[in-house]
Parts: sequence; structure tokens; C-alpha cells
Amino acid sequence: MARLTIRGGVVVVALDLATGLLERDQALEALNEAFALSRRGTGRMVLVSGDAGIGKSALVREFCSQLPTSARTLVGWCDGLRTPRPLGPLVDIAAEVGGHLEQLILAGESAPVVLDALVDELGSGAQTVVVLEDVHWADGATMDILGLLGRRAEQIGSLVIATYRSDGLAREHPLRIVVGDLATAPGVVRLPLEPLSFKSVAELAASSGIDATDLYTKTDGNPFFVTEVLASGQTDVPDTISDVVLSRVARLGQPARELLDAVAIVPQRTELWLLEAIAGGSLGALDQCLECGMLVATDHAVGFRHELVRQVVEGSVSPLRRVDLHRAALDALRAPPDGRRDFARLAHHAEAANDGPAVLEFATLAAERAAIIGSHREAAAQYARALRYGDLLPILERAELLERRSLECYLTDQHDDAVPCLEKALEYYREVGDARREGLGLSALAIRRWCSSDTTGAVAAAAEAVSILEGCGSSADLAHAYASASSMEMNFENAATALSWGERAMALSTESGDLETFVYQLNTTGTMTSLMGQPEGRDDIERSIALATEAKLDVHVGRGYIHLAWTGSRTRDFTVLGRIADGIEYCSEHGLELWRLYLIAYRARIELDQGLWTEAAESASYVLRQSRQAPLLRILALTVIAVLRARRGDPDVMSPLEESLALAVGKGDLQHQAPVAIARAEMAALAGRADLAVEATETVLAMARERGAAWIVGELVFWRRRAGVNEVCCDGVAEPFAAHLSGEWTRAAVLWDQLGCPYEAALALADSGEDDALRHALVGLRQLGAQPAAAAVGRLLRQRGTRDVPRGPRPSTRANPAGLTARELEVLAMLGEGLRNAEIADRLVLSERTVGHHVSATLRKLQVRSRAEASATAVRLGISPQN
Amino acid sequence: MPRYVVERTFPDGLHLPSGEAGSNVRATVVARNADEGVTWVHSYVSEDRERTFCVYDAPSPEAIRRTASRNELPVDRITQVSVLDPYHYQ
Repeated sequence: MARLTIRGGVVVVALDLATGLLERDQALEALNEAFALSRRGTGRMVLVSGDAGIGKSALVREFCSQLPTSARTLVGWCDGLRTPRPLGPLVDIAAEVGGHLEQLILAGESAPVVLDALVDELGSGAQTVVVLEDVHWADGATMDILGLLGRRAEQIGSLVIATYRSDGLAREHPLRIVVGDLATAPGVVRLPLEPLSFKSVAELAASSGIDATDLYTKTDGNPFFVTEVLASGQTDVPDTISDVVLSRVARLGQPARELLDAVAIVPQRTELWLLEAIAGGSLGALDQCLECGMLVATDHAVGFRHELVRQVVEGSVSPLRRVDLHRAALDALRAPPDGRRDFARLAHHAEAANDGPAVLEFATLAAERAAIIGSHREAAAQYARALRYGDLLPILERAELLERRSLECYLTDQHDDAVPCLEKALEYYREVGDARREGLGLSALAIRRWCSSDTTGAVAAAAEAVSILEGCGSSADLAHAYASASSMEMNFENAATALSWGERAMALSTESGDLETFVYQLNTTGTMTSLMGQPEGRDDIERSIALATEAKLDVHVGRGYIHLAWTGSRTRDFTVLGRIADGIEYCSEHGLELWRLYLIAYRARIELDQGLWTEAAESASYVLRQSRQAPLLRILALTVIAVLRARRGDPDVMSPLEESLALAVGKGDLQHQAPVAIARAEMAALAGRADLAVEATETVLAMARERGAAWIVGELVFWRRRAGVNEVCCDGVAEPFAAHLSGEWTRAAVLWDQLGCPYEAALALADSGEDDALRHALVGLRQLGAQPAAAAVGRLLRQRGTRDVPRGPRPSTRANPAGLTARELEVLAMLGEGLRNAEIADRLVLSERTVGHHVSATLRKLQVRSRAEASATAVRLGISPQN
Repeated sequence: MPRYVVERTFPDGLHLPSGEAGSNVRATVVARNADEGVTWVHSYVSEDRERTFCVYDAPSPEAIRRTASRNELPVDRITQVSVLDPYHYQ
């Protein structure tokens, strides 16, 4: 069988070489190669993946055992707790390494800080190999670290091996995103492991008396399953792994079985001191279990040979006994010998033991710890766990937990959960008559509703918050409410209201010394003024970012960067690109995943406008691949893809456009509506359909005019005009568009050039009708890959070469009393030559149906009934393309 | 997954090496395509070797363009197609 070794990221293990570990020679070779590279200073991350039982840990163990003694190995495990310990594997590694890293972990520092310390540690002293096992169970903070380690693998200069189970990874599993991201990172190698071939299974089964075919069929070549069957010593093959394991267990005595039960209820490994506490008398059977291989010992702990075995044994423990064991574990873990309580583990056992008060105590503590470290998903899950026993709490405390859960859900983009949690908390506050808390909660609810795209509900909540707090709140509370209301108004681009609420918020927050609200409002005010076209607004946003960074208000820093991106892309101020890059880095390091995606989406739009179409496609596709529900995010990316496809002449413009249209339904703000309307207007222009352009843009244009959004008005009117909508415009239209629309093509082209927008510049040159300009435009459009536009200009140049055809396809109302659009004039000229619709369609590269539309419109405007009459009337009225 | 026809123009003519070198080139192209979920089905080449019409299964036109650039292949036009053959109506 041929060997496929492909450089640059994927090594596929082929078959047929037997060693201690069957069929893993190539995998070992890959790991050794990676280690060799890291020794020479070019670090690597190897992602070892495969089904459960495929032998990932076995491979890594074998590799590590072959390392030179001078090399150091650091191993950390992700545990299978339903809600994992934050930074679990890092805790393991820190315990091994001690020193600064351990101090940081104990102090509960966040992922970026811990990562820096880890990198320092790796750089000092011996060549190190880091192993992170089972990262499919990793918590949020560990995933962040994994992603960062991968992206910087080469510079870090060590070998990092991460193992994970690839079967059963749900579509939205965070690991998929991290791994997908790392697919193109230079230092990352993927090492998927394959099952054993029939030959190897047969080899293994050779002296056992077991039928090799039966064994291979039932186990599918899964190494774990195969070895378990062979170890059980039976001659017929049980159907499932469960059967195999249970039959082995059954043959051990009662004390051994009891011991195995105790080990099984503790995920991963059970420390010896813990085992002593929960196993009682059956501890005597430990030697027997170790000897027969059911358990393996590592330093100070025992565990099952494989997680699959543990799961089977755990599943077979009777419910009553399980609760007893968990209770015993809970008690023991409350007072560990090193005095450091692990809240996540305590919460896990507490819930399994159905000990309500213990769950409340420990899940809450676990959640708080996770939140500080930055594992917000785990924090949300721990709060949810506590809330399952919420009935044991008085109402106000329940409401507090709900509020916290809502915040954690909001931070991890689980908006569908964030909103109802907070609403429930508010119900409690109302019940108890705590108006202040209700008011403050309503202000937070406004933002959360906006994020789950309930824009009307958002505005309502903000307004209610203000009215309640005006009655009873302190200055700080009121500042908060005004800031929230101001932010809602800013999202709708209602400048006057946004700024007036904003002033009050600024005054009150300064008075009460509330930095967070001040920073928030400064951002809002700056954004609003930027959108109105005042460049000083940007200074306010920058100042807000600076203040927030210093005060470590992560979320507000992220929001600042997003607003820079939004206003920059809106006003075509591409100098924000550097800041967007800064923002992306900041968000990566602080686990602000959704914010990072928004920044990439805005960057996609900017890249589109700059003519960097490959990059734009990359950015927009990346955003769409993350299965996030946030409608605005998808609208931003989908409209970029739709416009790209249309401009390149690529197929399927309609799907992304239709999806974005559906997502924008019911959202009455420009952020959601404008990109869709603009894209549809451009489509209509390419097809020469004034009616479609009007339908797509009428409401949004009115909205944009009302809000003074000059850039949006400009872009909409521009495409409408090109689609054939004849209208007077020109005030409240952004400059380059205004110049183009009033026929100052050369000036428009210069302005577009200065801004750095090659496509619009080329269109302006093309419209000027001068040969030189047309040639420039053609070159520019070809370079961009704008096939349809280039073809149109090319045709125009050819026509000018052979006929005295005047200025190209654009409307000119002067010699055109019947108000025919440029397209209609073109069609009319061809009617005059006696061409049929099909021929006209060929010449103009339109569909026949579209030509039909134009012909009908022309006949209607000229008030005639036949094509011959149309030609004649045109000549009589002096309308002719010849003018 | 949609199917596309990709038209390419090679002003100097497309000349794939034969033997092992050629097979390596093909394998590399296939592997790079696989990274993006793109499958090269087959291609038609004009007699003068200046134009090709390549049939692909791919998730999107952008994926095709991405792999084309990684494989250093030009793209003139991409059209989405579905298969039709004489036996269709039998």
C-alpha cells in the first residue's frame, strides 16, 4: 500500500510496519521529527486525534519513553467532570514545575498571564515536551491557551502534544473551532490515528484461539477493544466493550469489585489518600487490581487503564452505592491533605450525591473562580448547576445567581439563555419590591436583548430602567441607566437622543466616580459622533479603550475596538485596520471570541472596499464557518460574500443575499438593514432593474436620510442611479459618491483613489467615457478580477473603436425628455437596428427576460405599442443615443 | 455539495510533467484541495493546451479560488452546473 506523506500539516499514517505498538511507526516518526525540529529552535504543536480507544495516550507514552534523558516532559490532563476544572491541565503542570507558574495558578490568574509564565518556563533550561491530554474536555481558558500555543508554536520553540477524541465532537464543540483555526498555522501538525488493519488484529489474535475475523468485525480494529478481549482470556468475542470489561470485573472477588467502584466514581485518577477515605476495607484488594492490570498506578494515584473501562464500571455501580461513594468523596475532598480545595471537583461530587447545600456552596465558588480565570462557559454551567437547587435559597439570593449566570452566558454568546435568566431575576426583584435592583437589571437586560436581536425589547427595557431609577436610584445607578439608554439610541443612530442621555450619563458617572460607566459612555458618545461624520469621535473611542485597558475592563476594551471597526468601515477610514488587528489580538488573549469575530467581519468589509478581494473572501468565509447565531455578524459576512460573487461574476449570489435578508427582518436599525439594502441595490444595478433597486432600498434610504447617515445615503443613491432610478439627490451624500453622481467623474475617481477604493475608482473612470480613462478602468477592473464590469468596459472600448458611440451606460437627462434610462437608451438603439430580444441580450450580456423588461419600459415611456413605432418616435423627439 | 466548471487560460499552454513528477504534482493539488473540502473531478483540455474546463465539487466559489491560488492555477470563470446526459430522459 502506498505511503502518503504530505508536508505542511497533515501526515496520514499508512500501514504495515510492526513494532512494540502496532502500526504506529509513522506516527512515532512524525513525533520524533517534530521533537528534532523543536530542539533546533522551531517549535511544533502536534494534534493527536482519533476515536476513543485508538491508542492516543499509548502512542504519546511510547514516544515520551524514547526521549533522551536530558529532555523534560510536562503532562497535564483535562478531566471528564461535567464541568471541567478551569485550567485543569495547567494546574497539573504547575504542580510539577512549581515556582512562579505554580504561584500564578494558585492565585487564580487568568489564561494570558498563565500562558506567559508557561512560555517563560519552557524557554528556560532543558528541552521540554508538553503533553495536554484529552483536550476535548478542556475548559474555556485551556482552549484559549491551546489556541495561542498553536498559533505561536514555532516561536515558542518547544514540542506541545495535544490529544483529543475526534469521534462524538458535536458540530459546535469549541474544540472544532480551535482546531479549524490551527489548520493553517505554520507550526501545527495533525496526526490522526487509524484503527488496526485486519492483518495486525490477526497477528495479535494468533495464539489466543480467538477467531480473527470475528474479533476484527466486532472491534473494527479498535486497539483498546482488541486488547481488552484478548486480556479477558475468553475464546469467544463479546459484542461490546461493556461486556468485555464487566466479564473481567466479575471474575475478581467482592473486595476488588468494591474497590473498582470507588475508583470509578472519581473522574480520571483517584489519589491514594482519597481512595483510602472512600474505599474503606476494600483497599486491601488494591494489589490484586494492579496485578491483573485493571488499575494502573501513577505517582500517588491510581486509575483505570482506560477511560472507557472507567465509564463501564461506573455505569454498573448501583445508584444507592453510587450516591454513598460520591458522598464519601465529597467529605474527603472538603479537607484535602494539602489544604487546597478544588471547587469544581467538590461541586461534581456534591451534585452526584444530591447534596443540595453542598452543591450551592461549591458550585458557586467554582463559578466565581472560573469567571476570574476567564473560563466563562464553565462559570455559566456551574451557576446553572447551583440553580438546579435554587429552591433551597431565599428569593434574593436566587435572583443574584440568575443575574450572574446571565452575565456569563452573555459573555459566551449564549444569548438565548442570558435573556430569560435575567428576566426571571427581575421578576423576583419585582416580587420583593426591590426597585433599584430591578432598574439596574433592566439596564443590563437592554444590552442583552439587543445582542439576541430583540431590538424593540432592548429599547423598551432601557427606557423602563431610566424611569424606575429616576425615582429611586443613586447617581451611580442613574448614570448606568442613562448610559444604557444612550447606547440603545446610538445603535439606532438617533444622534440627538443618544447624545442627550449621554451627557447626563457622563456627568453623573464623573460625579459618582464610576469609571466603568464613564468608559462605557465615552465609547458610546465617541461612536455616535463618529457616525455623524465628526472625526473627533474617534479620539473619544480611543480614550475609552485606553482607560478600559488600564482598568482591565476587558469587555469594554472589546467594545471599543468593535466601534472603531464599525465607524471606520462605515466612513471608509481604512486607517482603523491597524487597530482592528490590535483588537483581534486583544480579544484572542482575553477569550472574547464573539467580539473577535465581529472585528474580522468588519475587516472583511474593509478588505472588500480596498479591493483586497481574496482577503475579504477569506475573512468573511471564516466568520461564516463559525456556527454562531448572532444575526448582525452573519449579515456583515454574508453581504460581503454576495457582493464579491456578483463583482467577480461567480455563481450563487442569491443564497447569501437571501439569508441576510431573512436575518434582517424585523430589525429596525441601519446596522442590520443597510448592508443588505446596499448589496441588493448593487445587484439590481448589475441587472439594470430600477424596480428591484427601488423595492430593496426605499425604506432604508428614508431611514438613512433621517439619521443623516451620509455614506449610506450616498451608496444607496449611487447604485439606484446605476440601476436606472432617476432621482435628484445630492445633499446629505458622502463626497466621492456626490461627485460621481453629479457627473464629475474625474474628481470622483481621484477621491476614490485617495481613499483607496479601486473598484469605485474604476467605475468612475469608466463612466467618464474618455478612451484613456476607459483603458485605465479596464486594467484596474481586470486586476481586481471584476469580470462582468471589465467585460462591459471592454465592450465599450470595442464599440468606440468601430462606431461613433458616445459616452457609455449612464443616465443623462438633458436630451431625454421621455426619461429613458441609459440602459433603455442602449436597448432603443438596438431596436432601431432591428435586433430581436435574444440578440440584444447577447450584446449586452443580460438575460432575455431583463431585456424584455427594458423593452416594455421603453415602449411605455415613449407611449407607443410596437418596436418600429418606438424607433420612429425616438428619432422624431430627437432622442437618440447618437446625441 | 455544488458542482462547478472552472475555466482557465494558460497563455503558454498547460504542460504537466509525466511519470512520478507529474503524479506528485497531482497528489499535492489533491491534498491542498482536501484541506478546503474541494474535490477535483476531472478536466477537459483544449487541443492547443491553452484552455481548460475543470469540473469540481466544492462548498463555495471562494473555496475554489482559494485552492486555485494555493495551487497557482488561474481562474477565468466559475459556473455552477448540474449534470445532464443523453440517458437522462430514457
